[in-house]
Amino acid sequence: MTSTQRGLSAPPSRRAVTLALFTLTALALSTAQAMAHNVTPGDAGYIQEIWGVHIIPFIYLGAKHMVTGYDHILFLLGVVFFLYRMKDVAMYVSIFAVGHSVTMLLGVWYGWGINAYIIDAIIGLSVVYKALDNLGAYQRWFGFQPDTKTATLVFGLFHGTGLASKILEYQIAEDGLLANLVAFNVGVEIGQILALAVILIVMGYWRRSPNFMRQATVANIIMIVLGVILTGQQIAGFIAST
Amino acid sequence: MNNAPQPRPEDLPSKAQLFRSSIMAAIGAVVILVTVYLPAEHAIDPTGLGRVIGLTEMGEIKRELAEEAARDAEIHVDQSSSLIDAIFGTFIGSAQAQEAWRDEMSFTLAPGATAEIKLVMEAGTTANYAWTATGGRINFDLHAHGDGLSIDYARGRGETAGEGSIEAPFSGEHGWFWRNRDSSEITVTLQLRGDYNDLKQTY
Repeated sequence: MTSTQRGLSAPPSRRAVTLALFTLTALALSTAQAMAHNVTPGDAGYIQEIWGVHIIPFIYLGAKHMVTGYDHILFLLGVVFFLYRMKDVAMYVSIFAVGHSVTMLLGVWYGWGINAYIIDAIIGLSVVYKALDNLGAYQRWFGFQPDTKTATLVFGLFHGTGLASKILEYQIAEDGLLANLVAFNVGVEIGQILALAVILIVMGYWRRSPNFMRQATVANIIMIVLGVILTGQQIAGFIAST
Repeated sequence: MNNAPQPRPEDLPSKAQLFRSSIMAAIGAVVILVTVYLPAEHAIDPTGLGRVIGLTEMGEIKRELAEEAARDAEIHVDQSSSLIDAIFGTFIGSAQAQEAWRDEMSFTLAPGATAEIKLVMEAGTTANYAWTATGGRINFDLHAHGDGLSIDYARGRGETAGEGSIEAPFSGEHGWFWRNRDSSEITVTLQLRGDYNDLKQTY
């Protein structure tokens, strides 16, 4: 993962935004292109070869990003871990979707470039936070329960900022940007629903087991460990990159 | 020590429901594998749907890029340093004085076709260029390699014209890789002047 540090900018007009995006592109181009010579393979390579509106391909890329994004999946797992009713699942997942959609779209449109390591470290912490919440740690430590919906929304905003940073690295062409971006976002939500379907089926079997509550404690402790590892990796990456 | 009560049996899906869901998920996974994943990642499109919705094209481009990357890695033992890129990364200026062009060439690319046009230049020399594309919009990668060094000057996609100068930070071949990603034939006309020893089409 390359990380290009970009300043936070929120220019008022669309022209300034476009200019900022071009500047970002130029900046990204002037930094080293990875791989042998000038070929960027994979998804980024594909995106850098095309221009104009490509709805289905960007939906696919968004869904792929979500399904293969283990940090997002882990957080999602944490959120639905103790949600037994579909109504609650739908509510919390929608809150998460609204959160990450807002910052993903705005982040790319206005070229917010928060350092990818920092934002991914926060995403790692979101997993730790949710797992601790599932274990009831805040009630035990601080004597109160932080609002779970608010936490889901706030961490959704951070996850979206992380998505935006990744999309900026893709260097999507200016031609067709908005439509492709919306398609990518739709893809992210489809990917989330697909991942959720699998999670809910597995959890459905698991919750029927008499050992579920005991194993749930262990599972959430494992999630804390994984979240700490994710965070640590990103902090190490950040230190190595500076 | 969990922040939730034991699930009530009536809140949980029944075994029969879970079994049905599992079957549906498995079928869904196979459908996605065949109609979406294989076209988009490997350009394998047994149903023909991938072609219609644009995913097979993605798979083809990815496969092509992977092959090019592998070929490049074989041809050039890559010593391109990011230091070189960082130092010389912004060496494209705009064309200066209005002199006569030394060379003018033009070539036509069918959709999907590529061409590579290179200037043989000594370190420290400068060449100016201007180009236009007609019939469609072209992708290019302006880069250089030689003496075990390489540099990427600029990339573009869906462009129809360009101009500027190349200041060679090292001796070697400096020029363009062109690719037609459009749906129609494109003719590129390239004009050149400045200090270069040779102009050649490498493939």
